[in-house]
Amino acid sequence: MQLLVNALLAGSLLALVAGGLSLVYGVLGVFNLALGQLALVGGYATWWLTQQMGLPLLLSIPLGAVIGGLVTWASFELAVAPFYRHHRFLPLVTTIALGMMLDAALLLLFEERPRAILSSEKHMIEFFRMRFSLEQALLVCATILFLLATAAVLQRTALGRRIRATAGHPDAARSLGINSSVLHRMLFIGSGVLAALGGIYMGIDQNLTPTLAFSLTIKAYAALIAGGKDNLFGTILMSYVIALLEQLLVGLPWAAGQYLPAGYQSVVALLFIVVVLLIKPSGLFSSHLRIT
Amino acid sequence: MKRLIALSVLSTLLLTACKASGDTIKIGFIGPLTGDAAALGKDILNGTQIAVEEVNANGGINGKQVQIITEDGRCSGSDATNAAQKLINIDHVVAIVGGSCSSETLAAAAVAESAKTIVMSPSASSPDITQAGEYIFRVYPSDAYKTTAMVKLFQERKYKKIALITENNDYAVAIRIGLKEKLLKDMFVLDEVVDLGTKDFRSVITRLKNQQFDVFIPNASQNAVMGEMIKQFREMGFLQPIVTQDVADTADVLQMVGDQENNVWTFNVPDAGKDTVFEKQFDSSYGKPQAGIVWAAYGYDATRVLLSALQQAQDGESLSKNLLNLQEFKGLIGTFHFDENGDVLGIPLALKQYQAGKIVTIKDIPVD
Repeated sequence: MQLLVNALLAGSLLALVAGGLSLVYGVLGVFNLALGQLALVGGYATWWLTQQMGLPLLLSIPLGAVIGGLVTWASFELAVAPFYRHHRFLPLVTTIALGMMLDAALLLLFEERPRAILSSEKHMIEFFRMRFSLEQALLVCATILFLLATAAVLQRTALGRRIRATAGHPDAARSLGINSSVLHRMLFIGSGVLAALGGIYMGIDQNLTPTLAFSLTIKAYAALIAGGKDNLFGTILMSYVIALLEQLLVGLPWAAGQYLPAGYQSVVALLFIVVVLLIKPSGLFSSHLRIT
Repeated sequence: MKRLIALSVLSTLLLTACKASGDTIKIGFIGPLTGDAAALGKDILNGTQIAVEEVNANGGINGKQVQIITEDGRCSGSDATNAAQKLINIDHVVAIVGGSCSSETLAAAAVAESAKTIVMSPSASSPDITQAGEYIFRVYPSDAYKTTAMVKLFQERKYKKIALITENNDYAVAIRIGLKEKLLKDMFVLDEVVDLGTKDFRSVITRLKNQQFDVFIPNASQNAVMGEMIKQFREMGFLQPIVTQDVADTADVLQMVGDQENNVWTFNVPDAGKDTVFEKQFDSSYGKPQAGIVWAAYGYDATRVLLSALQQAQDGESLSKNLLNLQEFKGLIGTFHFDENGDVLGIPLALKQYQAGKIVTIKDIPVD
């Protein structure tokens, strides 16, 4: 049972980052490899607001997300907007460069030392032999609510319909009067805000260091690819599945009470993509109808 | 023809320019200036620079000024190999201060040993460095002593069962190997090696739920990882004492763990450099140290012992001989000399404890 709690904790972080990724890839068809860095921007901004400026946490979190969104906007104008219409793989290179620049900037601004957004002790709860902190429970609930809200916007509102229309057939959508360039901007910024929330999540639950951006990006891509490249729900579900698999693999005894070495934990995500792609190359939850 | 003459004149000029650099004595520096261990690397580099400035202000070495050439080793073997090759083959340094990480030192040692260039590490602690070669020195005690001291503590306190989590890099793995050599195999209820930079240990720690054990050893190589290991272990509700190595002896880890914690014990070299003229000078030149003044002190002493040997001779062979024959060197970190392997003697270990938000030294343990 404790493993389930652990998986929820790890999966929620992954779902936030991967969810944003899925929105952008589904609609723009663009790979954003600086997403992990953008998550860190949000996390560090929130850390700075609470720990250095002394703002209350509930105010710093939305402000941190806004700062994450603004930086994402700037990166879109700088590294994606001028290129992605020429070829959808160009941003792949420019966002790598952007990620490196952000890495260096974070290192200069916030130094090497680990930064935690919450400095006080956590309030631990024991519940049916599962241990977690009040803060963690709130984080997971907030994440799930937020993701559900995003999904509701996508499915139930006129804006969501436009987004889905543009994802399905950009040219047709444009001919029907949908302003795709504004939509693209909004989505890209939205993905940055989601990622920034992921960074804040990490800063509260664990700590922030400037070097963990890339591994975060990689894991988010694993969830994206396994979930079907343009399906938000699939990606979110796969985030939790990958987290659960990671926990089960090293947390449960396998043959004859032997445990698998913990070093293999991070292989799970990558192995999982390989298996999924072998079974269903388009990802578990993607539908071909949209593309044709 | 004119062109040819011009070219040959130019090349002669260039050649003499190269020779003209004989007015300075070049020493190299390798340490992590970017990446996860950069805080440590920068403090050591600044300590090194203070030592060089002092010597230059006092007239340099045999009237020549000392120039320091800095390379980023990123705490990685491959980067340090490139750095050492550049320093030795292109810059022609007479000696290298570094690497700061054990992985850097071991990699640089392989290059420097064949070039007969002295490597003086301020902070590498891997037991493998003892046998790295006759041109490889360090002012930091080997981890072999650290694990011996840990095992002794376990015997004193009658700890029978041990849970160990190790982060996968040269430094932490060497500690693990040391412990495994000195303890019986069935004493380990958990012995896991996790990827470098892992921050989620909840699943591994969950395995301990139905186990009986006396002590937890979080064996991480980076502050952020060490902090998470200790924090998550306590969050899972375990009350066992925590015994570990010097990574836990940093303000960063202490801050992450919080001031409620009183049962973390760490083995490290004693504090050095605190409340000295050196610290004041450091603060006025570079601001507060990022990892701790103790690291700057090690960089300072490693450089000073090297510079004092350079006063007598500058070729690798005589340098090595002079350093080995050194009777004693009075430094900030203690009065020390080198054994026949180039390992430092005279620097003790200290057992320290977390006490209500402070790290308190319990006792010094002499090393022999």
